[in-house]
Amino acid sequence: MTTIITKTITKICIPLVILFSISLLLAGHNNPGGGFIGGVMFVSVIALSYVVFGLRHIKTFFNPDWAKWFGFGLTLASLTAFSAMLFGHNFFRSAVEFVHLPLFGEIELVSAGLFDIGVYFVVIGSLLFIFKNVGDDNE
Amino acid sequence: MDSFNAITAAIFLPFIFAGLVPVMEKLLKQRIGWFAVATALACFILIGMAAPGVIEEGHIVQGTIPWIPSAGVDFTIYADGLAMMIGFIVSGIGVLIMSYSNGYMSKTEDLKRYYQYLLLFMGSMIGMVFSGNTIQLFIFWELTSITSFMLIGYWRHKPESIYGATKSLFLTASGGLAMLAGFLLLGNITGSFDLTAILNDPQVINAIKEHELFLITLILIFIGAAAKSAQGPFYIWLPNAMEAPTPVSAFLHSATMVKAGIYLIARIHPIFSGTEAWFILVSGTGIITMLVAGFLAFRQTDIKGILAYSTISQLAYLMTMYGYTTYHEPGIGVAAATFHLLNHATFKACLFLVAGIVAHEAATRDIRKLGGLRREMPITFIIACIAGLSMAGIPPLNGFLSKEMFYESSLEMGASIGGIFTFLIPALAVLGGVFTFAYSIKLIDGIFLGKRDKEAIPHHIHEPPMTMLIPPAFLAFLIILFGVIPSLPTHYIIEPAVSGILLETAHLHVKLWHGFTISLMMTIVTFILGILIYTKYDRIAAWQDNFNMKKPWISINYYYDLAVDSAKGNAFRFSSRSQTGSIKLYMIAMLLLMIALIAIPAAILATNIVPSQLNFDIPPYEAILLVLLIVAALSAAILPKYLPAIIALSALGYGVSLLFIYLKAPDLALTQILVETLSTIIFLLAITKIPQKYKEKISLSVFTRDILIAITVATSVFVVLINATQGIVDPFASLSHYFIDNSLLLAGGHNIVNVIIVDFRGYDTLGEISVMCLAALGVYNLIHSRSEE
Repeated sequence: MTTIITKTITKICIPLVILFSISLLLAGHNNPGGGFIGGVMFVSVIALSYVVFGLRHIKTFFNPDWAKWFGFGLTLASLTAFSAMLFGHNFFRSAVEFVHLPLFGEIELVSAGLFDIGVYFVVIGSLLFIFKNVGDDNE
Repeated sequence: MDSFNAITAAIFLPFIFAGLVPVMEKLLKQRIGWFAVATALACFILIGMAAPGVIEEGHIVQGTIPWIPSAGVDFTIYADGLAMMIGFIVSGIGVLIMSYSNGYMSKTEDLKRYYQYLLLFMGSMIGMVFSGNTIQLFIFWELTSITSFMLIGYWRHKPESIYGATKSLFLTASGGLAMLAGFLLLGNITGSFDLTAILNDPQVINAIKEHELFLITLILIFIGAAAKSAQGPFYIWLPNAMEAPTPVSAFLHSATMVKAGIYLIARIHPIFSGTEAWFILVSGTGIITMLVAGFLAFRQTDIKGILAYSTISQLAYLMTMYGYTTYHEPGIGVAAATFHLLNHATFKACLFLVAGIVAHEAATRDIRKLGGLRREMPITFIIACIAGLSMAGIPPLNGFLSKEMFYESSLEMGASIGGIFTFLIPALAVLGGVFTFAYSIKLIDGIFLGKRDKEAIPHHIHEPPMTMLIPPAFLAFLIILFGVIPSLPTHYIIEPAVSGILLETAHLHVKLWHGFTISLMMTIVTFILGILIYTKYDRIAAWQDNFNMKKPWISINYYYDLAVDSAKGNAFRFSSRSQTGSIKLYMIAMLLLMIALIAIPAAILATNIVPSQLNFDIPPYEAILLVLLIVAALSAAILPKYLPAIIALSALGYGVSLLFIYLKAPDLALTQILVETLSTIIFLLAITKIPQKYKEKISLSVFTRDILIAITVATSVFVVLINATQGIVDPFASLSHYFIDNSLLLAGGHNIVNVIIVDFRGYDTLGEISVMCLAALGVYNLIHSRSEE
């Protein structure tokens, strides 16, 4: 598993895959992608690096508290769902807005997109939390 | 601010400030308790802002904020004199208790958690008393049970705390459920959960009394009240609740939370009283509890234990008095009960605070070791005397006044029934008073008088700090004030409260000296008998101990423990039998369920199993892919070693995602590839830790059985899918058109799959991500609980 080839390829992959996962997340509303797929993609590359370099080695310089990630995601998703109620709408009512930005042209802002970001963080946080805990368990 | 807003603010302020406690703790450090005191004081003032109208003019503050109008559940406030009185008791005693806690709780304790729970409790309690909607009342009611559970179990490492907390939650929360059932029945009878609508309309009240469901509704609501106020067989949780820190016991388990049941009885008094059922149920339970608890207090050696039993007995006084009713005069004991409720809050909270001081300074609560502390802590001694003598009913303290009223109302009730009850009810009341007198004297005598036991407590005991001394001293001051000038509390607190209960303006004349009435004679008899019994106190306690040793099964606790233990045992046996840990059995169970849920209905519904207009025109690359998929699936099942089997399984997964691409479903393909990758990585991680070969030998019969199940499931899934994709059979009609037509229109997205996930089915997704979080936490707990063993 931990040959020099896999190590090198993994190193190259990590930034590319993470960028791709973010693009999947943001593009999700109109093109293939979305919070779940983006999240799983993020998880798979981190998991791959855990396997290839060893969890113990990775932990010495990169050791986020994944529980906070899914906590954040769940909070964001529920707040998005509740926020419609502040404007007198039903729970989970979504809003769409088109905005013109100088460089990017026309951008579609969807409140469901925020919800999707919540999903993204929950998927990443919970899967990697499980992964790390199972991997840490040496018995 | 108008009265309605002031009360709403008083309900929600503690909840909001409880959330702020961790932030404030960073600023105030160990003085965080004073933040809680300020909150309680703010609540007291807010309630006070609404009070003048209620007290002076008999006006009732009412108001509604729509909450779930479709279900008839609104946030409704109903603030009459009764609610005001309890509101003042809760927030006022809250101020004293939280100030006292600053001295009582050690600085090393988890103070954040302690004050947060206290504030949450106070908010729930204030919310409960001002509730004008039964469902809202139920929610706040159960919140008080939960916060009480947290506070009893505050010292998490002590098994006794856990036992006491669980017991109180079991009993009070299940009583609450009975109460909910009662409220639902009440809602069924009146067509509304709005308490104000019922209380404001005499016709509705009459309709309830004549309804056939009257009795069962009353019994269910009464069970809730009795469980909360530790009456009848439910009393057993209160003595165990004494494991809580003493300020908590003083606050929740003497002055406020246990009064919730009494409050409920007073609240529903106009609806249900004036009937025989009310008298038999409420007064009957009250009298029995009063005598039994008063008698059982004798054998307690822990001073908090004595106080617990005395609280049960005193609450039973209140129950008994609220239960006194006749058709013509529904509220015989209401004034007496309401006055005693106030008085009990003052003297019992004071006694608990004294017990806390004693335990804090002497490091023991065992009455056999204590004694002779009057020289070392004279101020505490004086406070304890005032509170204890008030409980015993000695003039001129407030306990004397309300006990006189108790005797008067007992006489009146007895006379109105006539016959043997004319004597029986007053006699039982006196007997209750005798027990109260005896254990009250025991408390003072056992702790402060008598000989100082230098062996049990060798160190010198001194007075506590002022933060712990002022709250009970203030309560002692109130005890004397209410006793000497009774018109003060009766005019400003009791009369509005009684008017609120009876729904008519009430006038009371309470005086210290009435002349030689029968009730005064009864009081004198109580003192004489009390002194006589006190001389035999230890002998009675020893007899009780002996009886308990010989016949352990004559005890409600015995049956409670039996029920809980056998429930645990049965649950363990059931789970060890149903959860064998064999994955194969789990699979079989799931597949059998699939057969029951899919195969059988499909066989019934789908008359034409293979639709006739199927398209068999498969492009060659898809045909090749399908063959590869079948080969991969077969190899995954047959290959003898794990590693090749896993690789075959992965090949199957990647093949399926390729198929998705051919079928123009990029989303699914992407997801499938990623999930496949991830599961392969996890498999590879696990593979190093398990044996490389299947060792299991499979017999022919098992093999046949497995094959049979597999084929049935596969066939049924095949049939369902083929019908679903063709949309031929009616129950399998396609619903994708709705999403295709509306995704851009309603949700502004082109990607239908994503729009379904985050918008159309957003609620489902929210549920799913919550499950993911819970699963992650579950895995964490499983792994860590195992490594702790």
